[in-house]
Amino acid sequence: MEVLERVRRTEFLGRDFLTWLWFKSEANEGRFDLGELGMVELWFDGKVTLQSDSDQDVETITCSGENPSLREARFALTKSKKVTQAKLRLIVGDNEWSFTLDSTWLNFKSLKTPTVVHDKKDDPEGLFYERVLLIEQPLRAIDTLFSSFIKIRTSPEWGTQELPALIEWVNQGK
Amino acid sequence: MGFINGSTSITRFLVNDTLPRNFIEEFPRRISRHAFRNLDESSDEERSTGWVNIMDMFDSQFIGTEFLNDPYVALSWRLDVRRVPGKALKVYCRKAEEELKKREGAEYLSKRQRQEIREGVLIQLLKRAIPRSHTYDMVWNLNTGMVMFGSLSNRICGEFAEFFFKTFELHLVPVFPYSMAHQGLEKEGANPELLDEMQPVEFLEEKQ
Repeated sequence: MEVLERVRRTEFLGRDFLTWLWFKSEANEGRFDLGELGMVELWFDGKVTLQSDSDQDVETITCSGENPSLREARFALTKSKKVTQAKLRLIVGDNEWSFTLDSTWLNFKSLKTPTVVHDKKDDPEGLFYERVLLIEQPLRAIDTLFSSFIKIRTSPEWGTQELPALIEWVNQGK
Repeated sequence: MGFINGSTSITRFLVNDTLPRNFIEEFPRRISRHAFRNLDESSDEERSTGWVNIMDMFDSQFIGTEFLNDPYVALSWRLDVRRVPGKALKVYCRKAEEELKKREGAEYLSKRQRQEIREGVLIQLLKRAIPRSHTYDMVWNLNTGMVMFGSLSNRICGEFAEFFFKTFELHLVPVFPYSMAHQGLEKEGANPELLDEMQPVEFLEEKQ
């Protein structure tokens, strides 16, 4: 199967992941234990785009605002919409990142990293390593979360525990 | 904006092919061969692409292994494009057509004549056009094979993957949720075919 065809056929995976991530973030009050990466905070941060899985009559809804509960977006979930793009905030210790994650490719848009301490003129090599490390950290965090999602999604617990809790959360948005 | 300064956007690829054994000697030659070269003012080329230093887009002199910050290959892909505005092309073509009609005492010009005029005018105007420069950063982790590329545009990503192959003769494989899940399950010793049976989740309340 061609890559683009595979991407199109399986794009629900990314949407299901982002929707699950939103649920987990609210249920865990933003906290996630990412093993090697330690404890992190991950929040949905003010802008969410949703769309239905169906190919017909596609409606896209974008909700943005200061209110962290994103009530309109939560309501859209009860109308069979899923998250296709979300602005996220990641906090690890004193460091904070913000970025928009898209469901089709899990691309990072407008990734803002913590401020670097190395100087381009005095220590270009130090600056390079510092920046790359700061860019890789949110990528690794999302990869770890995606891997947890796939693990649970393919386990028997999905049907017995995770999905009922997720459905309950979605329905609380009505 | 890019990987070194400010905010950035990232598309990821994976290099699954095996690195050549002598890549330390091989890569400088390959990168140098595909380094960026400015569009020649006398040429009629519309675009030029090539590698530049990730720290300085005006530096395309690769003398040693300055692109290698172990375990990363770090480069910027520069793309210069010069374009002739459509309206300007139209105005200059009209002028040239009128001059030819006058010179030949003709009332009409054939399609072929008009086409020839258009091509000639386009070349002349291209030589006068100022190129627009874009750079897209690339960081390739040689240990993991992961390539981070600084654009989200499908067109730019496609062109970049072709250029990467032209330089290194290694394929870039796009990273997306299915491929990540497939690789993850394989790593865990689980059956990746589980993914092919998966259906989108229904989040609506279960019917009693």
